[in-house]
Amino acid sequence: MYPILLSILFPILAGLFLLIRYRTPLSSRAGTAKRKTLVILTGSFLIITVLLTVIAIFTAKEGFTLFYLTETLPVYFRIDKAGTLFSLLAVVVLLCAGFFSFEYMKHEERESRYYGFYLLLFGVLNALCFAGNLITFYLFFELLTLTSTPLVLHTGSKEAVMAGLKYLFYSLCGAYTALFGIYFLYKNSVTLAFTAGGVLKASAIAEHGGFLLAVAFVMILGFGVKAGMFPMHAWLPAAHPVAPAPASAVLSAMIVKAGVLAIIRVVTMFGRDFLRNTWMQTAWICLTLITVFMGSLLAYREPVLKKRLAYSTVSQLSYILFGLAVMNEEALAGSLLHVLAHGFVKAALFLCAGAIIYKTGKTRVEEMRGIGREMPLTMWCFTIASLGLIGIPPTGGFISKWYLAIGSLKSGLPVLAVLGPIVLLVSALLTAGYLLPLTINGFFPGANFDYDKLQKKEPCKLMTVPILILTVLSVLVGIFPDGIAPVLALAGL
Amino acid sequence: MIISVILIPFIAGILIPVIPFKKRWQKEIFLETAVVANSVLVWYLLLHHSDSTFLLAHFTGNLNISFRVDGMSMVFAGLVSFLWPFATLYAFEYMTREKHENVFFLFYTLTYGVTLGIAFAANLLTMYFFYELLTLVTVPLVMHTLTREAVLASRKYLYYSLGGAAFAFIGLIMVIVYGSTTDFILGGVFDPAKIAGHTDVLLLIYVMAFMGFGVKAAVCPLNSWLPQAGVAPTPVTALLHAVAVVKAGAFAILRLTYYSFGTDFLRGTWAQTVVMIVVMFTIVYGCSRAVKETHLKRRLAYSTISNLSYILFGAVIMTPLGLAGALTHLVFHALMKICSFFCAGAIMHQTDRHYVHQLNGLGYKMPCIFGIFTISALALMGVPGLAGFVSKWNLAQAAVDSGNPLAWGGIACLLISALLTAIYMLTMVVRAFFPGKDFDYSTVAEAKDPNWKMLLPLFVFTLCIIGFGLYSQPIVNFFNDVAGGGV
Repeated sequence: MYPILLSILFPILAGLFLLIRYRTPLSSRAGTAKRKTLVILTGSFLIITVLLTVIAIFTAKEGFTLFYLTETLPVYFRIDKAGTLFSLLAVVVLLCAGFFSFEYMKHEERESRYYGFYLLLFGVLNALCFAGNLITFYLFFELLTLTSTPLVLHTGSKEAVMAGLKYLFYSLCGAYTALFGIYFLYKNSVTLAFTAGGVLKASAIAEHGGFLLAVAFVMILGFGVKAGMFPMHAWLPAAHPVAPAPASAVLSAMIVKAGVLAIIRVVTMFGRDFLRNTWMQTAWICLTLITVFMGSLLAYREPVLKKRLAYSTVSQLSYILFGLAVMNEEALAGSLLHVLAHGFVKAALFLCAGAIIYKTGKTRVEEMRGIGREMPLTMWCFTIASLGLIGIPPTGGFISKWYLAIGSLKSGLPVLAVLGPIVLLVSALLTAGYLLPLTINGFFPGANFDYDKLQKKEPCKLMTVPILILTVLSVLVGIFPDGIAPVLALAGL
Repeated sequence: MIISVILIPFIAGILIPVIPFKKRWQKEIFLETAVVANSVLVWYLLLHHSDSTFLLAHFTGNLNISFRVDGMSMVFAGLVSFLWPFATLYAFEYMTREKHENVFFLFYTLTYGVTLGIAFAANLLTMYFFYELLTLVTVPLVMHTLTREAVLASRKYLYYSLGGAAFAFIGLIMVIVYGSTTDFILGGVFDPAKIAGHTDVLLLIYVMAFMGFGVKAAVCPLNSWLPQAGVAPTPVTALLHAVAVVKAGAFAILRLTYYSFGTDFLRGTWAQTVVMIVVMFTIVYGCSRAVKETHLKRRLAYSTISNLSYILFGAVIMTPLGLAGALTHLVFHALMKICSFFCAGAIMHQTDRHYVHQLNGLGYKMPCIFGIFTISALALMGVPGLAGFVSKWNLAQAAVDSGNPLAWGGIACLLISALLTAIYMLTMVVRAFFPGKDFDYSTVAEAKDPNWKMLLPLFVFTLCIIGFGLYSQPIVNFFNDVAGGGV
């Protein structure tokens, strides 16, 4: 009980402490010394949180009820396999992006507010991963939206505020749509605790199974907003690029995954056997495939690097959702692997984009010719991570897409079983099309390029090491997928 | 005993202009003591209530003025008596900027007694009597500033309310004629022998009476008086136009539906369908107007319109769960809305800013006010862990449970409204805390948090919002008991 509580409460309290302690902006003169204290404080808070989280994951076996909202609504925590997987990803991504921000945030104002909400977000993410029933999950799902909005808003430009509000309202709209489903699910289920095999009352299925399918679909649509599923994806390309780069990395790598985790939970609650081979599955798969293709295509046409990466997130997340929608063991394995692979890759890519912005101020792809000569390490990482996203062996993306395709072919769904892998392949091609030009033009700017203007602009270690770690991890997922097999022991999901 | 809690505010109110207070603080202490004493008395009464009815005056036949404490009155009286002392404290500070203090406090305190009269009324006639009285004693409060706008608003308020009461009166007559008694009895008082063959007429009358009492509860299309009445000083808008007066309308409808006409008679009829559609429409309409509105208090007033219809939505589900949901929202919305109104009032009092676009950058200057405002906004949206979630949960469960497909549509309305609530509340929060890159902080240099008289009520209400959000089991059980007739 206590490890879980600590891992949730400590970052939240630490975040609140930072927000209150540094509520006025640092003045520029006295700022340097104070900034150092702030960074050291935040850094140590981050590390302690990471340790607490890891301890919680490995020691807490039993679930516990913290208290009751009303008689029938317990706030209940339990760490299960899916929670562990997402929590581990969160730990890595938030730690890397956190240390990256210590350098990056130098050129932004009101750093303390950023760090405060960053820590709050960490706590909420932990709670979300460790939630043991749908109500607890929903509670922290809403809080996640609320605590991540200030990160999107952070720069305070008009564009950022509009994008932040868009993010907020889309997310809330999704959450409320899901809540609509929860009201009905509650009435027709034995419990709201996550239980393998589903929680629906047998009598309810017999009486109005068709209606419950619609409820499941509504819930998936609702939670799908967070995961950027068509038709409610528009917030994602607006919100991710305007945030400071490390925040974009966290948003794209981790926060959207909360939507994925939510949908995993929903599928668990309704039971895969109940949902398989219904109109609802067909409709859902169609939506994911549309998103996969559309996201890639939009990314291909997008000239601003961070926006391009955001569109890419739209597309890649629907790979994961596609795997969940197919609903068999292989596809699920592919999905979960892709959660990890995409998490590491996308965090690395966004941090690279951030490093480029920080060092050169360049945001558009066509300005980045020759960038590989200036920042070789960053661009090497960018390249390797790109290969992971495209799905070239031996990176993580290859193995996850392999499982996704196998799962789809085995599912025996008419048309979609074959159409799925084809769309995935086309999208992979597009992914290559929108990521590799950066590498190619970055390292081989062409004959007419003025090489004399180039300077060494490699960022400091605080930036490169997190990128490097994420890149290496993204490859390791591909080489040793069996290493995470215990986590993926699928029967439990 | 019951009559004394109604009379004490009357006496105290009338004494204010009479006693020649030398200093302002003397008056404050006198008034606050009277109000607190009365509230303590009310709570004593609630906790030691007996089932007996207190008969004040007997007219003829079964017409009489009498009072009784039952479950519903406990909820409403408990709520009102809890809020009133704090609102009075807040008013002391707020009214330093306004004129004609004595008149204001006279009627403000009178209203306390009248509201308690509505709460403790034992039959429809008594409630109707105090309901009319409530209109009359609150008109001067709306008119308070005596600007042209205020006079127009109060006139509109008067006409709307009296007109509505006239329709409600028809309902009263029907209950007298077709009922066995006018007393409030859970389940209704209609005599089956008398109503045979008159069902459709009675249903029509029910809809009319619903709309009649609905004027005070600001049911669309009879809501336009409420945003206009926002010209009144903030303690009035906060306590009366978010709690006492409008909730008296909702309370009257609950009484009418559950205790006079009876849900067995109404459930499943066309009358239920009609009123439910009206209520569902109001829920969405109020929120949409709030999104469009740029005046701070009028925006909150539109939000009240929408939220009142949440309560009525619970009422028209016409099951015990629906009543419990309605009562939950009646109490929780009161806390949330008074909180946000008091914040709005504090902003107006401290900075003299009245419009949403003027809020830019105030967040860091008035951290307490805007922190509390944010919490009340989140609560109104229904974020879990705050009171609003619990009441919405209860309402939605009642709707799901009723098995009425139209009520399921109502849940959708609730959620659309929640989203709109997020839009109109959080845009203000974002403005206050994220004024934009080029914002000039010197324009808000003078703004600061108000003093303790304004902050104390806000802190208490915020604690209640969080407390009920995290642990609402006892109070929700109590509401269920009330709805089941157990209290």
